[in-house]
Amino acid sequence: MANLMTHIVAGYPSLNESKKLVKIMVKNGVKFIEIQIPFSDPVADGKTILDANIKSLKNKINADDCLKLMKELKKEIKIPLLFMTYFNIVYKYGLEKFIKAASRAECYGLIIPDIPIDEESYENYIKLCKKYKLHAIQVISPITPIRRLKKIARVASGFVYCVSRYGITGEKDILNPDLEKYLKLVRRFIKKPLALGFGISKKAHIKAASKHADIVVIGSKIINIYNKAENNKLHEVEKFIRKVNSSLPS
Amino acid sequence: MSLKSYLLNKSGHFGEYGGRYIPEMLIPVMEELEKAFYESKNDKNFLKELRNLYNNYSGRPTPLYFCKNLTKKLGGAKIYLKNEGLNHTGAHKINHCLGQGLLAKKMGKKRIIAETGAGQHGLATATIAALLGLKCIVYMGEKDYYRQRPNVFYMERLGAEVIPVKTGGRILRDAINEALRDLLANPKDTHYLLGTICGPHPYPVMNTYFQSIVGKEVKKQLKKEERRLPDYLVACMGGGSNAIGLFYEFLDDKNVKMIGVEAGGKGIKKENNKCTHAARFETGSKGVVEGFKSIFLQDENGQILDTYSISAGLDYSGIGPQISYLKDIGRIQTDYALDKNVLKAYEILAQNEGIFAALESCHAISRVIEIAPKLSKNKIIVVNCSGRGDKDLFITANKFDKENFQKYLSNFVKNG
Repeated sequence: MANLMTHIVAGYPSLNESKKLVKIMVKNGVKFIEIQIPFSDPVADGKTILDANIKSLKNKINADDCLKLMKELKKEIKIPLLFMTYFNIVYKYGLEKFIKAASRAECYGLIIPDIPIDEESYENYIKLCKKYKLHAIQVISPITPIRRLKKIARVASGFVYCVSRYGITGEKDILNPDLEKYLKLVRRFIKKPLALGFGISKKAHIKAASKHADIVVIGSKIINIYNKAENNKLHEVEKFIRKVNSSLPS
Repeated sequence: MSLKSYLLNKSGHFGEYGGRYIPEMLIPVMEELEKAFYESKNDKNFLKELRNLYNNYSGRPTPLYFCKNLTKKLGGAKIYLKNEGLNHTGAHKINHCLGQGLLAKKMGKKRIIAETGAGQHGLATATIAALLGLKCIVYMGEKDYYRQRPNVFYMERLGAEVIPVKTGGRILRDAINEALRDLLANPKDTHYLLGTICGPHPYPVMNTYFQSIVGKEVKKQLKKEERRLPDYLVACMGGGSNAIGLFYEFLDDKNVKMIGVEAGGKGIKKENNKCTHAARFETGSKGVVEGFKSIFLQDENGQILDTYSISAGLDYSGIGPQISYLKDIGRIQTDYALDKNVLKAYEILAQNEGIFAALESCHAISRVIEIAPKLSKNKIIVVNCSGRGDKDLFITANKFDKENFQKYLSNFVKNG
C-alpha cells in the first residue's frame, strides 16, 4: 500500500493559508507533508515552487516563522510533518540550533537536497539529526551509482526520497519509463521505505508510482491547482487530493 | 605546506570553504568532471593541445607592459600591467573556456551550457563551442539579456542559443541557478562551463588551474625585465577568476603582497534590501549557495541579496572559496573601489597609456592609482588588466558623452 506525501511552501500565499492547506491535506488522507522553508535560490525547484518561494519571501517568512508554524500544527496533527529547505537556511540559522528547534517542534525529519553525504565530515548534519531524533531524509536519483546507494543505505533514516527522473520539481506529461528497474535496484540496497517524487501529477503517474514506491509525492501540481482555481481554492485542492487518494491502491 | 598545492587539493575544501553542496543528481556529474580534470592535468597530449590553443588561438602570452607614463605621473612604484584584454574575445575568460572545452570534448559531451552576466563569459563559451563543434546554450538573466544586446548578438552569430532567464531578480545569479537546473535535467550529455572559481568542486580548483597561466607568464616576464619578483599584485574580484589567475603562481613567495579589489558601487550601503555594492568582504557572511561554501552577501535569514556594480562582471553576491580562505589566513588583502573612482581610472589609463581597460579591471587600476604614489620608486606593482574596455561602450558613453551618444542612437534608429 502506498501513502501520499504532499508539499506546501510555508507562507505561500500566507501563513494562515498554509495552515489551512495542511489541515485539508490531513483531513483527506495525506500521510506525510513537506513544509518548505523559502529560500532565494532554490536550485532544485522548477518555476511553480520557485515562484511560491519568492512570494513567501516577500511576505518576510523566515525559519522562525516556519518553526512556529510546525509547532502550532503539531498540536492538532498526528501525521509526520517534515521541513524541506536548502542548506544555507539552516546553516545561517545555526545547524544545531535549527535541528534542536525543529525537533522540539515535533518535526519528523528534514529534506535538504543540497547537503550530500560527502560533506558529513565537515557539517555533521546527519549526526546532529540523530542526536535530536530527527530523520535526515536522504535523496537519491536515477543516476546514483551502486557504490553511493550502499553509502546512503548506511545513513538512511525514516524513508528515502527517490527523485523520479532527471531535472527539477514540476509537472511533466510522462513519468520515467524505467521507474520499475530504478526502484528495484534501489531496494536491493536500501531497506527503508521509498518515496517517489518529481513530476508526479496525473492519475496514471500515481498509479504507476504507487506500484513501486511506498510513498508517492505530489508537490508542484497542488500549488498549480491552488493558483489556477479562481475561487474556493482550498476546495479545489481538497477535491484533487480526495481523487488522488481514491486512486491509490489500498 | 605549499599554498599552491593546497589550492589544487583533490577534495576541493579550502579551510572551511569550498566543498560540493549539490543535489545527489549532480554528484556523479561532478565526479566525472573531477576525474577528467585530474587526469588531463597530467596528460601531456591534453596540455600540448591546450598550450597550442592558448598560443595560436588566443594569442598568449599576453604582454606584461611597463606603464611608463602612469608610473611617472604618479611618481611612486613602478607599474606593470598584465594585458589579458589582448586575448581573443577580449578577456581572461577564454583561459578556462579553452581548458573546459577540451575537457568536455574528452568526456564526449555534445552540449555546453553556460551562465553569463554581461555576456563576456557567454561570448567566450560560444566562441570555443564554435571552435570545438559543440552545441552551446547560454543562460542570461532577462535584465542582462536586454541591456547587453551587443553580446547577445555576437553569441547568436557564433551559433549559440541565448535564453533569457525570467526567474528571481533576472540577473547573473538566476542565470547560474538556471544553468544548474539545465544540468540536473541533462546530466549525461551536457557540460556546464562555469565561468569563475565558484560553484561545486571541481570548478574552483579547475578554473584556478586554467587561469594560473596568467601569473606564470607574469613571473617569467618580470624576471626578464627586472630580474626579480613583484612587491604587489593587484586584481579586481567578481567571482575571483582573474585575481586567482594572477596570484596563484606567487602564493608561496611570501614577500609578494596581494590585493583583491571588489566593487564598491555607490558605497557600502543597503537600500530596499539590496546592496548598493558587491563587496562581499565588507558586509558578507559565511554561507552555502550554488554548490559551495564561501562568503556571500545575504541577509540575517540566509536569503541572498541582490548586488550592484557599474561592471556586470563584478556584480555577484558570492566569491570563490579559495579567495575567502586566502583572506582568512591573511595571505591576501581585500579592498573596494567606488564607481566614480573606477570611471576616473578608466580615463587616466586611457589618456596616459592609450589602453581602454574593462570597467572590472578599472577597479584594480583605481587602487593602483591610490597606492602607487605612497610607495617608493624601487617597488613594483603588477596589475591585472583582465579585459579590454570596448565591451563597455554603452556604459562609458552614457557616463562621458551622454548627449552625443543619445543623438547618435536615435538617428541610428530613425534612419537605420
